[in-house]
Order: sequence, then structure tokens, then C-alpha cells
Amino acid sequence: MNSFVLNSIRFVLFVLFQVLILNNLEPGLGLYAMIYPLFILMLPFQMGTVPLMLISFGFGLVIDSFSNTFGLHASSAVIMAFFRPLIFKWLSPRDGYDSVESVNVYSMGGRWFLYSYGTLLLIHHAWFFTIESFKLNEFLWVLIKIGLSVPCSFLLSLLVQFIFISNKKAVR
Amino acid sequence: MRNLIAFFKRFQIFLVFVLLQIVALSAYIQYSQFARLQVFSSASRINGGLYEVRYSVTKHFNLEGTNRKLEWENARLREKLKLSNYKIDRDKIVIEDTSYQQQYLYIAATVINNTYDKRNNYMTIDIGKNHGIKKGWGVASSKGVVGVVHLVGESYAVVKTILSKNINFDVSMRDGGAFGLLKWDAVNPKICQISGISNDITIKKFTKVITRGGSGMFPKGIPVGVITKRKSIEGRPLWDLQVRIAEDFRTIQHVYVIKNIKLDELKELEGRIPPDKEEDDL
Repeated sequence: MNSFVLNSIRFVLFVLFQVLILNNLEPGLGLYAMIYPLFILMLPFQMGTVPLMLISFGFGLVIDSFSNTFGLHASSAVIMAFFRPLIFKWLSPRDGYDSVESVNVYSMGGRWFLYSYGTLLLIHHAWFFTIESFKLNEFLWVLIKIGLSVPCSFLLSLLVQFIFISNKKAVR
Repeated sequence: MRNLIAFFKRFQIFLVFVLLQIVALSAYIQYSQFARLQVFSSASRINGGLYEVRYSVTKHFNLEGTNRKLEWENARLREKLKLSNYKIDRDKIVIEDTSYQQQYLYIAATVINNTYDKRNNYMTIDIGKNHGIKKGWGVASSKGVVGVVHLVGESYAVVKTILSKNINFDVSMRDGGAFGLLKWDAVNPKICQISGISNDITIKKFTKVITRGGSGMFPKGIPVGVITKRKSIEGRPLWDLQVRIAEDFRTIQHVYVIKNIKLDELKELEGRIPPDKEEDDL
């Protein structure tokens, strides 16, 4: 129950942060920073893939409803949720994930976080911008968008975790 | 049967994944047909309300610019008043009420949310069904063309701006009258393109571009922008024209929704054109 409440609060906060602040930052060159993939990464570890995808779908749909993209964010969120268990399995540490309670940069370490979240973000952003444009002759432009947005989203996610998650609590 | 169930169990994750993707992508790619997911847009009450709260905070940041724009528009309107004109021919000019009939009505609206950096850009305005807005009406600002009403909620509406894929407004040159279709290639929110103008027509740089008024969304003559660059498309007898658009979508706050009273008459008349036979065969 505790985890449910925590994640519900996160849900609302991530939506508000994405919609009210990040959707209005339009610095040009197609840069579009997205923070909400972090919510999908930070969902509980033991969650099965199907509930994970359903939650991501609903979450993406809420973001869609605010940014008038009609299913684009939902689609990208689902593809990220689909790849999350695969990436986790690929990067699993020697002694498994037994002692891990929540996924963040403190509990998992910087290198693990860089590889897993970086890969997932790349998948998410590549899917998002490709479907958004859906034209072959804008391919270069899409690549520029992906190349600029992925580092930005990643740094932003790191910053959010450094600010809002206390190190002590995670180590416990 | 048992094999089938085993199959579903084994590929359960992938099947759910495919199902969700089909729902999401069909909504995105042909969003005008998939009516059910259309509910989830910023025209709905909760989302529109949230954006309105945000707008009540952020509107003050642009107050100076908005004031200047309104001042400019006021000045221009004042110039058009009878008071500021000198009557040359004192006796002959008689304005008959019967010779002019109102055709276009302007409904003022406030932009409470908009984007200019995505592939398709939409803006949310604070009027909707309660104010009589309908899908397909044109939207313009004091500077120029903005877009077309795309979705209508109870008290909010979503406008598809000219910074969108396949927007295809019909525009024409103010001098010369050559006409083409307005497009946007998603690179720069200040530059649009015009396609479909044959390159044996001379078009000078800095020609003003205006709406043509063909589809009945806008009156003829609303400014669109200025031609800034032109070159021929290789292998085709067409101009590739770049237009610097008049409206700046990064600071837009107030727009007018344009109602054409004679739209039904126009549609009815154009509907009577017999369809092309050859196209039917295809």
C-alpha cells in the first residue's frame, strides 16, 4: 500500500512537471526534454511486464491528453515498458537484484544507471521522434532531435534524483 | 485448444504489447477518425482548466508585448475610422446599407496553451461549444493567419496551427495573384513553404503573401507573410518558396476565430460540381 501511494504521488508530480514546465520549454533545434520516462524506470522492481505496460499506457495517455499528441506518448511509454525487463536482465549484477527495493541512481550505482536508463531513453526517444515525423526525407532532422534530446532528458533525470531522493534513505 | 492457450500464455507479454501499440498508433496516425481517444485532449474540461490556471500566472510575463501589439492594432483601426478620413467627394458617396452585408464575424479568444516546436503544433483557446465555435473555422490574429479549429470542447477548443503537417491552406501573392498551398517542413517556426506555383510566373523577393479566401475559412486578404527566398525545384517546373510568416507563434496570446456566415452556401454550391470521372475509375 505504501508503495502504491508513493507511486500515485509520483504519477501526479511527473505529469505536472512534464506538462506545465517541460512542454513549454522550446529552446529550438527540436530539443524536447522529457522527464516522464523516469517514472516508468522507477516503478517497483517486482512488477510484471503486462501491468507495467498497462500503467505506462495510461500514464502516456495522460501526458498525451495535455500535449495534444493523441497516443504518441502512450505508444513510446509502452515500448519503454516492454524493453525495461529485457534491459534489466541484460545488466543484472552478479548476485542478482535480491536486495534492491527501488530503482534509482543511488541504489544501483552510476554506471548501471547510465547503461540501463540511457538505453531505455534512446529507445523511447528514437521511437517517439520517428513516429512523430513519419517521413523518410526528414530523417536527418529526426536524428538531430534524438541526439540533442536524449542527453538533455538524461541529465534532467539525474538532477531530479539528486535533488529529491535522499542518499541515506536509499542506502538504509 | 490446449496448444492455443499455451501459445497465448507464452506470448502474453508480446501480445499485450502489440495490442497497446495498435490502439495508441491508430489513434495517433489517423486521429481524425478514431473518435474515442479524441476525448483525451486539452479541449477537455480538466486539462483546459489546468491550463487556464497556468495562464492566469504566466500571462503577466508578456504583458508589455501584448500591450504594444494591442496599441498597434488600435492605431491601425483608428486610421480606418470615418473620423480620421477626409471626405473628398462630398455629395456622391452615399453608403447604402443594402449594398454591403456582413459575411465574416470575429470572435475574440485567448490562447491558454500552445507549442511551436513539435511536428504538429496545436494551441488551446478559451472558447468552445458554448460560444458557438465549430470545427473547420479559421483562426487569425491581428498580425496574420494562425490556423484552423480542430477539436471543440464545452468551453475550450484546440486549434491546429499552420505549423503542422499537411496544413495546405490556399494562399496567393498580393501582387500578381499567383496561388499555391502553404506547407511547413518542421525546421523553423518562423518559416513556411509554398508549393504548387509554376516557375514561369515571376515572383519577386519580399512579395506579400495573403489568404486567397477559397475554402471560405478566411476572407481574402488576411496577411500570411513575406517571401524571403525562392529557388527552382530541380527536375520540376515549380518554385520552392520560403515565407517568413507574419505571426510569431512564440509570443501569441490573443486570436480571433472567424465565422463565415455564408459558408454553408459556398459548400453547397461547390458540392454541386460533378465529380471527376477519371478519378472514379481509379
